[in-house]
Amino acid sequence: MNLKPTIGIETHIELNTNTKMFCRCRVVDTEEPNVNLCPTCLGLPGALPVPNEKAIRYITLLALATGCSITKKGMFHRKNYFYPDLPKNYQISQFDLPVGENGNLEIVIDNEKDYVEIERVHMEEDTGKSSHEGSGRIDSATSTSLDFNRSGIPLVEIVTKPVIKSSKEAVAYIEELRQLAIELEISEGKLEKGNLRFDANISVAPSESNELGTKVEIKNMNSLRSLERAIDFEIKRQSSALENGDIIIQETRHWDESKETTTSMRSKEGSADYRYFSDPDIPNMVLTDEFINQIKENLPSLPHENRNKLTETGLGLSDSNVLSKSEKWIFELYFEVFNNTKDSKASFNWITGELQGQMRKLEIKSLPNWFSPNFLSDVIKLIDENKISFTSGKVILEELIQMDTTPDEIAKRLDLYQENDEVAISKIVNEIIDNNQDIVERIKNGEDKLVGFMVGQIIKSSGGSINPGMAKEILSKELNL
Amino acid sequence: MELLNLSIRELNKLFITKKTKPSELYSEIFNRSASSEAALHAHLSLFEETNLVKAKKSDERFSKSENVGLLDGIPLAIKDNINIKDEKTTCSSKMLSNFVSPYNATVISKLDTEQTIYTGKTNLDEFAMGSSTENSAFGLTRNPWNTDYVPGGSSGGSAASVASRSSIAALGSDTGGSIRQPASFCGLVGFKPTYGSVSRYGLVAFASSLDQIGPISKSVDDARIVYSAISGHDSLDSTSINYEQIELPFEKNATIGIVKELMEDGISEESKKEVEKVIDILKLKGYNIKEVSLPLIKLSISIYYLIAPAECSANLARFDGVRYGLRVDGKTSYEMMENTRAEGFGNEVKRRILLGTYALSAGYYDEYYGKALRARKKMVDEFSTIFKECDYLISPTTPTEAFKAGEKTNNPLEMYMSDLCTIPANLAGLPAISIPTGLSSNNLPLGVQIMSKPLTDNSLLDFSEMLEKELEFYSTPEGWSK
Repeated sequence: MNLKPTIGIETHIELNTNTKMFCRCRVVDTEEPNVNLCPTCLGLPGALPVPNEKAIRYITLLALATGCSITKKGMFHRKNYFYPDLPKNYQISQFDLPVGENGNLEIVIDNEKDYVEIERVHMEEDTGKSSHEGSGRIDSATSTSLDFNRSGIPLVEIVTKPVIKSSKEAVAYIEELRQLAIELEISEGKLEKGNLRFDANISVAPSESNELGTKVEIKNMNSLRSLERAIDFEIKRQSSALENGDIIIQETRHWDESKETTTSMRSKEGSADYRYFSDPDIPNMVLTDEFINQIKENLPSLPHENRNKLTETGLGLSDSNVLSKSEKWIFELYFEVFNNTKDSKASFNWITGELQGQMRKLEIKSLPNWFSPNFLSDVIKLIDENKISFTSGKVILEELIQMDTTPDEIAKRLDLYQENDEVAISKIVNEIIDNNQDIVERIKNGEDKLVGFMVGQIIKSSGGSINPGMAKEILSKELNL
Repeated sequence: MELLNLSIRELNKLFITKKTKPSELYSEIFNRSASSEAALHAHLSLFEETNLVKAKKSDERFSKSENVGLLDGIPLAIKDNINIKDEKTTCSSKMLSNFVSPYNATVISKLDTEQTIYTGKTNLDEFAMGSSTENSAFGLTRNPWNTDYVPGGSSGGSAASVASRSSIAALGSDTGGSIRQPASFCGLVGFKPTYGSVSRYGLVAFASSLDQIGPISKSVDDARIVYSAISGHDSLDSTSINYEQIELPFEKNATIGIVKELMEDGISEESKKEVEKVIDILKLKGYNIKEVSLPLIKLSISIYYLIAPAECSANLARFDGVRYGLRVDGKTSYEMMENTRAEGFGNEVKRRILLGTYALSAGYYDEYYGKALRARKKMVDEFSTIFKECDYLISPTTPTEAFKAGEKTNNPLEMYMSDLCTIPANLAGLPAISIPTGLSSNNLPLGVQIMSKPLTDNSLLDFSEMLEKELEFYSTPEGWSK
């Protein structure tokens, strides 16, 4: 049986506003539990929510950046379910009138562009954090500790249509969305801190079928690696079930990171009727044209636009995609280096390979302030002009990161400039030929590999300053090879 | 001179002229509550000790002429669903019997700046759900006019307190008549302001789109003084409004509508007579009178008992034993939550949570809650149309005089009907007031209700004060002391 998987992803992004979604508590990054609270985010009797305008602005920003149409008259709904870390036992969310609908996001996989359709972009408030002792599950825990610091932090939820075809595509989508959030400056985008969290809806159906299979929701994936593995596992599980003639049950499954399997979450959380209704504590929200236009006009350069700018320099799509997801200074450095060298491949390789490699080796996160982008361009140009060897370039770069100097000074100090004067090189070449007549004889008799030995001798006698390419060229000419 | 029968303005004048002091007034209040509480159970708690200190400070301010306003040193009773920092807010529920609020409701912060004294917290139907103050986990409150009767509800404790003079005035909350109905049953003025004109921050929510805090007092002027102290825009309440008041015409320029549907079957003859009495006065004063019809009013109880329970089912979900209040243990978190809610809530509260949960359930939403929302919208439109031709609408406040304790406890539907006349103002967000007009043949008070369009609170109070003077109904219940 030929089967095809279909995946939809719901992503929650924690917005980096100063204060929470519905109260004035500051959002603070702290390990100490329950210090960041007020009557509203703790759900005390009588407390009321007041929406955070900045959060609405951020959500509108993301909706516009994903090409969504904006719902001008929006509404906040109550999503009712009981859970100990949900203080009001309802979550203020959006239901039939989300901030944005029907957008899409450009992604790159396998050196090709693809588009993921977005169903909706809406506001949600975060819950507190539960730690179930004795087991990871609420129903079998011996005790549960609650931390409400996270309670009420604004989230934007992005729901894709069921259009993703593979785990690879899912990962590319999350990477793109994360980069978008960073470019929009609405989130730090740190997965390890839970700034981005995702659930996947996965179904498998016969390839020729126009209908989707039974959907299974996977929760508890907290890295791109676990997203990829969980999807792959689930596709395999469902496929073999279908091949064995079993029925897929619509359910929520839990990704077990240590066992690398998904297991059924047969609890009350799974089968809820959320009884959505418009929150009577919050009047309808009207997003004016002025508000929307102001955000539109101030949209920064988006990741796909950055990618286009990169491919315009002649860089391949895949490399452009990597650079578009790099830190901003790397992206900017690329353009400065490229503008000086006009060599897209070398600029990319030197930045993402040598420079970042050196920085990783030295364990530094940013370049020292004396390090000018021109240094990198100079090194590339020196290599291109055969003035130094590639290896010397790496040596120069390593020094440049560590001390306040210039490529020229280093090259001079370490005597890295190559001899490019043909007459001078010929002189040395002829000296070597004279001193190695036996070798010359053998080369002429067909022992080609000894050319390399001769070149080595030439470079050695020059103290390494001769350009190996030129040495070989002149040698060949002298020996009439 | 009986201090306790005086108005706020009169008391303030006596303080200023040094004929008496806030501490003297407070000790009279205190002595009164010592006897009235035993008979009526208006208060759930009395803040005696802190109040003596506060009253003395008030004395000082008056002696140095540093007094801050009309409410300085005036003892007000506060319904026990309004948070006062560091005091219990029980909502008359076992669920919150140990809950101490860590924060002030906005109305309390406002009254604090006026240097008001709080006698204590008053009894109510659990979470303000009821019309008799019999649904209290801490025992019922009795009507000061005749202790066999209920004081009305849900702000029955506040009304009984003002009527028995254990406070000068009181704060209540009104979701479907919970200020006006007990005021009427106890011969008092009860004022439910325009929705959004008084902050709900710190009022324990029953039905958020209907709840409104307001005063219960002996006179319209007292109500006005308290209302002006507690009203105003509040950035902590998103539904708080920030608009100017609209002024309505007076006397021959004003048109009064008699609501036909509230003068029909289900309204006692005695209640109708009070309206007729008021109409006669208005005619003499030159007002234009006309009968108006608002057909959807007949649906208001049905609409109300879908919307209010739906909202309450979510509002009361937070009482789960996790963070505060009652906790009844269980083997798992969910079992603990279930046990807590099973034991913490009384029957009426459970009934409404169930009703509301059902009305919002998948598959029933459109048929019940959705339909109620649409009907409510139509009713609002109906009111807007009527207010194009009328300035004030008059009706009885309650279909009958107060009923006997226990009389309706086993018949919730009949109990719900006692809010027939008051519910429409909540559904439409209108300001509405009940003023006492006279006594029934059983020697129990009766009142009439006046409604006007949103944001005409001040005009409504002026109009009611004019009527109050014409009616000359000032009496003091003595039933409780016999």
